[in-house]
Order: sequence, then C-alpha cells, then structure tokens
Amino acid sequence: MSKMTQRKSLEYIKKDYKRTRTLPGSWYLASYKFKFNITHMKPFLEKLKEKKLIANQCSSCNRVFFPPRLVCGKCFVKPDKWVDIRDTASVSTYAISYLKDPETGEVQQRPMVLVHHDGADTTSIAELAPDVNVKDTYVGMPIKVHWRDERTGGIMDIEYYDKVDDDSDDLRYKK
Amino acid sequence: MQKVGIVGYYQVKLYSDANYGRYEMIFEASRGALDKAGLKKKDISTVISCTNDYYDGRTISNCFTVEVGGGYMADESKVEMDGAHAVLYGLMRVLSGNHNLAVVWGGSMASCYPYHAARLYETDPTWERPLAYVNDITSAGFQMRAYMEKYGVTAEEIAKVVVKNKKNAAKNPLALEEAQLANLSVKDVLNSGIYADPVTELMVAPPCDSVAALLLAPEKQALKITDKPVWIKGVGYNQDAYYLGDRDLSGCKSMNLAAKMAYSAAGIKDPSSEIDVAELFEAYAHEELIFAEELGFADKGKGAEINSAINGDLPINPSGGALGGNPPCGTGLIRVIEAVKQLTGEAGEYQVKGAKKAVASGQIGMCAQNNILYVLEGN
Amino acid sequence: MGRQVAIASAGFSEHASKRSDVSMPELVSEAIEDCLKNAPSVELGDIDAFVNGNMPAFEGANIPELWMTDWMGARNKPLLRVTTGGTTGGSVAIAGYYNVTAGLPGVDTVLAVAFEQQSQGDTSVGLASVAYGEISILNTLGVSYDQLSRLLSAGAAIGVAAYQATTYMNKTKTHEEDLARVVVQNRRNAAKTWWAHLKMPNLTIEDVLDTPYVQYPLRYGMVCPASDGACAMLFTTEEKAKDMCDIPVYVNGVASVANETAVLGYDGSGSAQVDPSMQLGAIRSAELAYSQAGISFPRKEIDYAEVYAPFPNQELMWTEKLGLFEEATAPEMYKAGVTAVNGELPVNCSGGVNSTNAIGASAMERPAEAALQIMGKASNQVPKTVHTSIGSGWGGSLNLITLMAMSDQPQRKWR
Repeated sequence: MSKMTQRKSLEYIKKDYKRTRTLPGSWYLASYKFKFNITHMKPFLEKLKEKKLIANQCSSCNRVFFPPRLVCGKCFVKPDKWVDIRDTASVSTYAISYLKDPETGEVQQRPMVLVHHDGADTTSIAELAPDVNVKDTYVGMPIKVHWRDERTGGIMDIEYYDKVDDDSDDLRYKK
Repeated sequence: MQKVGIVGYYQVKLYSDANYGRYEMIFEASRGALDKAGLKKKDISTVISCTNDYYDGRTISNCFTVEVGGGYMADESKVEMDGAHAVLYGLMRVLSGNHNLAVVWGGSMASCYPYHAARLYETDPTWERPLAYVNDITSAGFQMRAYMEKYGVTAEEIAKVVVKNKKNAAKNPLALEEAQLANLSVKDVLNSGIYADPVTELMVAPPCDSVAALLLAPEKQALKITDKPVWIKGVGYNQDAYYLGDRDLSGCKSMNLAAKMAYSAAGIKDPSSEIDVAELFEAYAHEELIFAEELGFADKGKGAEINSAINGDLPINPSGGALGGNPPCGTGLIRVIEAVKQLTGEAGEYQVKGAKKAVASGQIGMCAQNNILYVLEGN
Repeated sequence: MGRQVAIASAGFSEHASKRSDVSMPELVSEAIEDCLKNAPSVELGDIDAFVNGNMPAFEGANIPELWMTDWMGARNKPLLRVTTGGTTGGSVAIAGYYNVTAGLPGVDTVLAVAFEQQSQGDTSVGLASVAYGEISILNTLGVSYDQLSRLLSAGAAIGVAAYQATTYMNKTKTHEEDLARVVVQNRRNAAKTWWAHLKMPNLTIEDVLDTPYVQYPLRYGMVCPASDGACAMLFTTEEKAKDMCDIPVYVNGVASVANETAVLGYDGSGSAQVDPSMQLGAIRSAELAYSQAGISFPRKEIDYAEVYAPFPNQELMWTEKLGLFEEATAPEMYKAGVTAVNGELPVNCSGGVNSTNAIGASAMERPAEAALQIMGKASNQVPKTVHTSIGSGWGGSLNLITLMAMSDQPQRKWR
C-alpha cells in the first residue's frame, strides 16, 4: 500500500468503528430558482383558450411535436412550423399508480397515461377521466380531450381525457 | 500524444441574471459552435457535457439536456468537474480513435441558486460542514494569508491583479458587464466589502450565467474543417489532498504536478520564455499569482513582479479571467476558448500580438484542490 | 489510434441496505481493497490515474471525490469525475477505458471507482429532484401541485419502467409470471454471490406474485432494493495487464448512447418516444460497441451477459434490444433455462441490479462481474468457458444506455 495515504486495513476499520457519526443535513431546493423560456410555447397556450390544439413541426424531419418543443433533437434545429392537430388521441402506454389518501387511508387507483395525439409524433403524460374504470384501460385505447369550462391559457385547460368507444374489437387486448 | 485540434467554439455572453431559459442557453452554445465550424448534427460523434447537480438544483443535471446539447443518438457522457476537465474527456475520446468530432459544453446559471451556499456541500459532511467554518471563501482567506505571510506579498500587489483583470474585461465584449471596470483603482479593491479578511469582494470571481461549447477533432478532420485549428500539445491534471491542513497553502502542488505533466507532453523546457499568453482560472485574485509561480513563469513569491498586462512580457488573463465572470462549470472551458481566440487572432481588442503558444487552466475544489492545464499551439 | 485496454482486476464492497458501519470514503476503500486483492502484484502507488463517480444528490455531498482523495490513494494523482445518473458506474468504467486508450503520457494504469451510500441520503428526495426543475416549470404553466404529485409518481424511474412494462407486455403478449420468473432467477443467483444484497435462495414465482402492486404492472417483489455499496475496476494497457493477472480481459467495445427524453421532456415538452419499449438508444449502443469489438453475431458470439435491469421487464427487453435474443422471444428463453447459470447464454449470474442496487455503482458492477466471469473469478462462476461477455447500464427517463464488450482476445486489428 502507498505510504503516503496510510490506509488502514479493512479489519481495523470494522473493529474500531461500530457506527459512523451521523449528522443531519438537507439539500435546500427551495432556495433554487428554475429559469425557462416559454416563447416556443406561447402560440400553443394562446390557442388553448379557443379550444384549439396546435403543435410545432421540424421542417427538416417533418416530425410534429405536441406539446411544442424548443429543439428537435434529431436535426438539432428549432422547429419552425406550426400545424393544427386534432383533439382525438390514443393511449400510447399507461401505468397504474396506487396513492394512499393520508386521511381516509383509502387507496386510490389512477391510470397515468402517455397520450399520443392523432397527427403528432410525440406523447405527453396525462390523466384519464375519473369515470374510466382502471381495468378498462389498454394500450391503443382511443381518447378525446375534455376541455375545462373556464380556460386560462395554461396546460390544465385540458382537464383530462375522455374515453371514446372503440368498435374495432380486433385491436383490443385487455390486460 | 497524437495531435488533436480545436476546430470551433462558442460562448454565450456572461450575464449576472440572464434572460435565457436553461435549455435555450445550452442550445445556443452547442449550435453556435457547430455553425462556427460549418458542421451539421450528423457530424457529431460524441458529446461531453459539464454540469453539476448542486449548481443546477437537479439530480442527474444532464438528464434533459441530451437534445439541446446535440447528444441525440451520439455517444454521450457528463463530467462533473470544471469545463476544462470535460475538454480532457473529449480529448481522450478523440485520441481513442473511436470518434471524429467531440462537442464539449459546460456551464450553468449562477443566478438560479446561492453559489457560495451550494459550494458548502463540497465540504466534508462530518467535520467541516456542521461548523461551516470552512467554505470556499474562508479557505481562500487562509490561502491568501498564507501566501502573503510566507513571501511578504502585500494586499496591494494582489489588488493590482484585480485591477488588471477588470480592465482587461472591459475590452472583452463577452465578459460580465458588472465586472467591466476600466477605471478601477487599487484602493477601490481594498476598500470593497470584506468577504473573509484579507479577501475582499472584488477579489472574488463573480458567479454568473453562461454556457460555452468547444469542438475537438483529430488532426486529419481538423484540417478539413478549418484552416486555423488550434492544437492541444499537452495536458496535465492533478488532485491535491483534501484537508487544508495537509497542504502547503502558500503554493499549489496540484498545479505544479499538472504543469509538469503538460509541459513534458508538449516538450516545454522554459515556460516563461516559450509561452506567449496564459489564461488561468483564478477563483480568487491571489490564485493567479500562485498559479503563475507554479507554472514556472516566476520564482516563488515573485508572481506579482511579472508584467502580465496585455502588452506585457507574459500576458495573463487578457480576457479578464474568472474575475471577469465565473459561470460555474463553464469557466475553465471559457479559459480554453479565450486561449484559442488568442492563438487564432480572433481576440479583437485584447489580442496579444504574435501569440503562438498558450496555456489555459481549470480548477475545482477549495483552494484549487484539483487543477488541469492545457498547452495549446496555433497552426 | 488508441491503445488496447485490458481489465486487470475488479472488486466489490459488501452490499447491504444500510452500511452504517462505514462512512462513504471507507466504503470506497473497501471496494479498492478487494480490487487490489484480486491483482496481488499491484499496489496503490502503481496506479497512475483515477476515475470516480456517484450520484451526489443521493448523499448530500457535492463532488465527494475531493473529500475521499486519501481514502482512494489519489493524493497528487490525476483524477477525473464522471457522473451520468443511473448509468454513472457504466460511464465511469467507460471513462476508465478512455483514460487508458487515449495514451496520455504517464497514464497507463487507471483505477475506476463507483459507489453509492443511499442510506446516508434520502433517495426519494434525490429521485424527485431529477424533475424538480421541470415540475416547477409545469407549475407555472398552470398544472396544480396536487396533479403534479400524481404525475411525478408516474414519472420517476419506476414510472418509466412501468410504462415500458405495459407496452412490452402488450407487444409480446407476456404475463406477470414471465416477469416473476426473471426475478426468481436473479434472486436465487444472488444467494450465491458474496457481495449481493437481496439473497433469496428459496424464492418462488408464487411468492413474487403474492406481493401487492407498486405501480401496475410491477409488484413489490419485482422491484430492486436500495443498497449501499461500491465497485472498483482496474484498467491498464495490454502489456502491463499480462503481468498483473493470469487472464487479462480486453475491453474491445464501449458505447453510451441516449435517446430523446421520455415521459417528462425538458420544459414540459413531453416524450419523444411514442413506444417506451422501442429503445433506440440501446440498439444504437449495441451497434457501436459490437462494431468496435468485431462482434457480428451477438447471439452466437457472446457467452455471458450482465444486463442492467432494476425491473424484470427491462431484463427481457434489453436482452432483445442488445441483440442477445430475437424480438419477443426473451420470455421463452427464460422459461427454457437458456439464461440460467448452466444454460447456453447465462444472464445476470450475480443476481443483477434486481437483487443489488447501489445506484451509482450498479452500472459498473455489470461490466466488473462480466469481466470476472471471463477471468474465472466470479463468485457464481458459470460452468462453461466464457470468451466474450457484455455489461450494460441504463439511466433514467432519457434511456441512456452504456455498454462494454469484453473478451479474452484483444481487438481484431482490421478496424
């Protein structure tokens, strides 16, 4: 072993120190600020007030980003076009989270879904309508935007997604 | 060591509170460097980023920067030290022959967090942090005092470094506006607020917002991309002991060893005559003098006697150095970029005439515990 | 062109849920001790440079390698720190490789160390703060914190894995028993590995399926533990490695490729991956590493694989994506025992991440264990002779995949 560092052998460490000293300490994330620019989001947020969905598109690879993105990673340029997209979507994938209510102790089952809008090439995370049964969720389930009554130009103008009846039985694969 | 060329760079202007989003700034730097070299996304083969979780307020701070840094489907990694260390990893990757173009970017936004408080997390959590008597400023105070006492250097001589660097920064359009002080006097420096005696406010490199990016390519590709590549002739890096009591604070052993490694790789025998310009990361004014001595520019204790102005014998920090703005994780990278500018003759008002060989350094840790030094040469 | 790199040794510390008997630097020391024990001719003084990495936010110490300088023996030596989140270990191992292959003067032998002492910090805070910035941004865009907490629970590593599992199971028509079978194999293997954390020699598929869901379709019994531990690897040049050990393991291919961010993109821009189990990053990583190593038929040429899979569905997914099995056939292979210790292509004989997960270290334990299998020094040694092996790593929502391909033969020179 190097003389300079004077390292003790493992046995010595284990014999002498039954427990290391512990001291409290925390990472004060509250003292941090996070900066971001919403210029690329502005037109999208404005259109939400009119119950319209727009997405930006990279003219180099023609991918449509919904929600809008700052940069197309594939082409490494800023997407420069805006396109309208429909309010219908499908469930790209989902997971069910089990959240315990701290007061009642009741376990709430909510599917968190990745929503793939028709006409878009990216997905976003969202919630399904409260009346959708957890057991009925499946990959590829057609859904539709449920607008909030009072829209303020924020992402939450899309309150949740409603289930749309799917009559194509062959696509159906339930869990 | 094979020749590796620096073929492009870009630095976002330093702001004390930038009107930028984080990802926008990273994109501007990486895209800017690519555009300057006239390259496309598909030319990138590897991306090395340099951020710090504690400086960004995020675990895995490189998690969301893949797209904006140009790392999509490229071999990607992150160095959590100074930007200059990220250049080292990029250099290694190019030297391995696996990669033809490395993008190195680094930097963060100091306006988003309390910089000196965040640096407290670097201290030993059992002994030093609970007492908080050692942080980066007080340890700099220890170091400055030790240096002054041992060699009889006065505070005025150290304040002169600040005056010189802030004057240089005034000529650098990318330097921090608050640090561009062309009419600063030694008295102003000594009379500014005391941080940890003898360190005063103006002797501390002001943390600010910026991201910088650099492109590295092997010899063959570098000559295809640009007529004026800057070659990395040597690199040395070293780490000293952690506890301040284990070190000789009046000097900097890790910088000495790093310089030895870099000089032997570059074949430099007499640094003070062979090197034309130095860009050193001095987090505190006195560090510039200590580094200059350890780099062999002057005898021990005689660092203040070097004529280090832009038109002097050995210009040090013609760009203003870290005293002209210190974006955490980006400063060392910016030092390399400034040295490159000097060698390609793109430095404008603060151009050193006839610069052929330059050194650039980066550091992390209390009292510059870990240092890295590059020897660069123009084409 | 770079130099040929060889692994001379690898070592582990003991892993447990709480290593309160040692501090963070002592834990690292333990792994280095074990690593140097495997290569008796090497002393700390022979090491020219160090590479170090962990996930600093999990322990509340920023750049901890400054502090543990003396515990590593790195005083007055070159040191580089690499961290990439969940793949930190893999990235550190790859950085160790690049340190040697670059051929910087005076840097021949490199010790790479990765560690994590999760019991020292709050892992849930560490994980939540991955997206803390993004979440605050979404909040200013009008998403309430109440809703965000629900979104966040789905956005952490287990959420990403659950998304992957849902699509994977849907695509390949597999069932929960298939996932449980992977877990059983891993935990039983872990029982034979001295440093592993969750050792369950008598676990059955029914036991796993008896546990409640954490997040559908993943159950408690399928999820990796949180461990404390460290791992060290010794990289050196071809010539020096021959003196240091009997069977040097040559590193022939490395890659670390990330896809675009999934689930929660930057600035709340969503996921670019419509199908989370597509794993373009893994496919590209495998392409890069195999082409460097000259592996044309991974299924045939690779004898042993260590795949980074905290959740069982990922082990199935990545064995396919890394080219070890055909698409959608991995569950059958596990059923047929191909991946068992005495099988045709043993996978994760150390128990894998599923049994031991010291986050910063676990991505390095994969190539380390894969190298030990070639050397014949692994604690759960496979009966057949291993010539070529791989070790992979996976990180978080952007699906950064690190991959290291190793062999007992040096790289073919045609490259």
